[in-house]
Amino acid sequence: MNARFGFLLLAAALGACAIATLPPPAPVGDKLGGDAGRPAFGQAAFSLPAPNLDAQQLRDFAFGNRLFNTNWVQVGSSTASFDGLGPLFNRVSCSGCHVRDGRGRPPEPGEAMDSMLVRISVPGRDAHGGPLPHPVYGDQIQDRAIPGVPAEARVVIEWEELPGQYADGERFSLRRPKISFADAAYGPLGADVLTSPRVAQAMIGLGLLEAVPDADLLARTDPDDADGDGISGRVNRVWDAASGQLAVGRFGWKSNQPNLRQQVAGAAAGDIGITTTLAKADACTESQSTCRTAPAGGEPEMSEVFLDKLLLYSRTLAVPERRSSDPQQMREGEALFSSAGCAACHVPTLRTGAHELAAVAHQTIHPFTDVLLHDMGEGLADGRPDFEGSGREWRTAPLWGLGLLHTVNGHELLLHDGRARGIAEAILWHGGEADRAAKKFRGLSKRERDTLIEFLRSL
Amino acid sequence: MTRNHIKLWTGLGSFTCVAAVATPPATVDVPVFDAAPGPMLAQGGEGGEGEMPSSYRLLSADPQTYGFDVRPQVQHYAKLVHTSYRAAVAGAVQMQSAIQAMLDQPSAETLAAARANWVAARPAYLVTEVFRFYDGPIDVGADGAPGPEPRINAWPLNEAHIDAVRGQPRAGLVWDAAVPLTREGILARDQVSDEADVTSGWHAIEFLLWGQDFNPAGPGERPHSDYLPGTSDRDRRRLYLATVTEMLVTDLRALEAAWAPDADNYRQRFLALEPREALGRAINGAANLVGHELAAERLSVALDSGDQEDEHSCFSDSTHQDHLYDLRGAQNLWLGSSGDATLPDSLRALTQKIDPALAARTDALFTQALAAVALMDQPFETILRAAPGSPPRQRAEAAVAALQALGAQLARVGKRLGVLVIVPGIDTATG
Repeated sequence: MNARFGFLLLAAALGACAIATLPPPAPVGDKLGGDAGRPAFGQAAFSLPAPNLDAQQLRDFAFGNRLFNTNWVQVGSSTASFDGLGPLFNRVSCSGCHVRDGRGRPPEPGEAMDSMLVRISVPGRDAHGGPLPHPVYGDQIQDRAIPGVPAEARVVIEWEELPGQYADGERFSLRRPKISFADAAYGPLGADVLTSPRVAQAMIGLGLLEAVPDADLLARTDPDDADGDGISGRVNRVWDAASGQLAVGRFGWKSNQPNLRQQVAGAAAGDIGITTTLAKADACTESQSTCRTAPAGGEPEMSEVFLDKLLLYSRTLAVPERRSSDPQQMREGEALFSSAGCAACHVPTLRTGAHELAAVAHQTIHPFTDVLLHDMGEGLADGRPDFEGSGREWRTAPLWGLGLLHTVNGHELLLHDGRARGIAEAILWHGGEADRAAKKFRGLSKRERDTLIEFLRSL
Repeated sequence: MTRNHIKLWTGLGSFTCVAAVATPPATVDVPVFDAAPGPMLAQGGEGGEGEMPSSYRLLSADPQTYGFDVRPQVQHYAKLVHTSYRAAVAGAVQMQSAIQAMLDQPSAETLAAARANWVAARPAYLVTEVFRFYDGPIDVGADGAPGPEPRINAWPLNEAHIDAVRGQPRAGLVWDAAVPLTREGILARDQVSDEADVTSGWHAIEFLLWGQDFNPAGPGERPHSDYLPGTSDRDRRRLYLATVTEMLVTDLRALEAAWAPDADNYRQRFLALEPREALGRAINGAANLVGHELAAERLSVALDSGDQEDEHSCFSDSTHQDHLYDLRGAQNLWLGSSGDATLPDSLRALTQKIDPALAARTDALFTQALAAVALMDQPFETILRAAPGSPPRQRAEAAVAALQALGAQLARVGKRLGVLVIVPGIDTATG
């Protein structure tokens, strides 16, 4: 009898609850978010404050929540503190895309694009090394606008099915989006437009990721693959508007934002049309004259005090603790995750360092990301460089909260454009530096694949 | 109330074997001490309702810790919920009669009577808000779809989605002749592209009765002539008001039915739950209503915003009774009824038996919170306009503090009774 079989028998004999007396616990425990995590399930699992906030912070969190859910209105309404929508926008609130602080998805046929957007640019770089905005449409398609201003365009997604099969013969099909634009209101976008469809990301644990020291990210980089494991890992270097210099990128699908303040301000301006001290201008280009002449709802439209509270909120949404009904399977899945090589990029454990917000500082966390860019292969490439990030590179997505996605948002559509219908498809799309791991996954038995996915759903 | 996206601040906690792995073996595999004939919790922490996990029951290795029966309290709670919804229906039906009388003969007097009936009908509904926040029938439908709450009490609402507002004289569904003003037609346009595009419920009726409130000293002043028949818009406004009023009555009746005795309904499933799980839902509803919904969502958020949009019943200027009767609802749950403190099956009676000091402290905090809420200035918008640190704001801040203290105390009561209570925003006994 081999040792593992004996272990299983013993476990079965004692019942699941007796596992506490067996070999040491799995390397990653339940507390994925350290002291800033909490037990959570149900629809509100992503919406709870970190439990280690003080009374004033909790109050600010409540107000930040109100701001996050605020439906910004056009200038001229009776709600002066919350007006200034647009002129161009994608949604009228943060929560419109980040539904229940969760993750967006591509529209079903006939639906509007409600929780994702398409970034655009033309070849070249802007003054700070970022993508060169389209001269007429800017850097994202705003598919809605206030009355009197034409919405830029409607995004059309068509899906192409790509059949394949696992080593054991089981068939699967992957779908790939093809993006086009209809009703372009400001003239044709041109043949050289670069597009990158991106769904809204879940909001949990962002402050913790912000508190991981730059040095720790840099220590994991291996741009020339000096260790020969096939995995490089690079930091993006992006423009930090507040400091006026380049900084390590860590938020956004290509790590194109250096910190949450800029991420939040950028989303407010770009997605809702709400200006702040950090993003002072609405997203109108030179040639969008009605957009440029529309009245503003104050300068800025969102006060600094409000932005601070929205930032606190964005930093302190608690990471749900891990849950599983089958600890044995979970542990086996975790071992498979590691042996297949997934953990090389989806790094299980990071330490946060000093941070102006004590609640997220000096925590041991399990985000399952290295917060670095990796070449993910041609299949996932958007062909649109973003600062140092190439058209084939993407930031390793954090995996915490993965198992609650369906509970919170009613779907499990994964990857930057929501193409993957479930965890298995997401893994199968991995290419480039992750090719070896994806191949290993295709070679697993059905039971092993299920076990791996069960582990991921415990996160 | 629903604030944009519905956030259900429910109690949390997963006391499965997994959780036990990380803790000393003493807490593992605890039997249920109530001799409950109903379904027991499965090992994985599943409750008696399909996928609904057990969220609220605390476990202890010591058989004496929770060695008392809470079934009478659970039974009594179900009775209280049912009678409360029955009263809410009665109030809404009476309001409906007054609204119909106004539509039959629109005049300043009949409109005033309809408004008075809206204000009079609200308290009976407000005291039922304590039955929220645990995925009960108000929040979640039998099929797992969202419950009727967003149809009943959604707020804030974008009034221009319903009817004309200042500067937009032909705005809203009233003016859009293509929209059929049936229950289906109105619901199909409820909170679709914008969660503030509310089309139905108490606050839609409120806006239709009062109109926008531009009057700093009083409520909105919609003229009764808006309801004289004869033009398309007025006829449609009449139909709109009649339809959403009927919808409200229908939805409230459905809640009453969900809690009616001896029927295949939520009450039956609730009573079949492990009793402490059921009690947990009840206490979490109260603690979250008081400690989060009232203290934060309705008060501190409004104080920090200073915007009239954060005033719950802004058209009628009756926000003060929203606060007061929500709190009274929590007190009803504690006492087992409105006013009678001696009911033997109340939560208070049980707490008093187990821990008299805890019960007395809870009584005191209820008294303090009720007094603090009653002392707040009216109408509520005068507080929002008051300068920081001014007496109206100080009084409102005192109410926030009192509500937070009471919310935390209700969590302590829960813990003493074997129930996990989590209220976001206040320090609670998380077990």
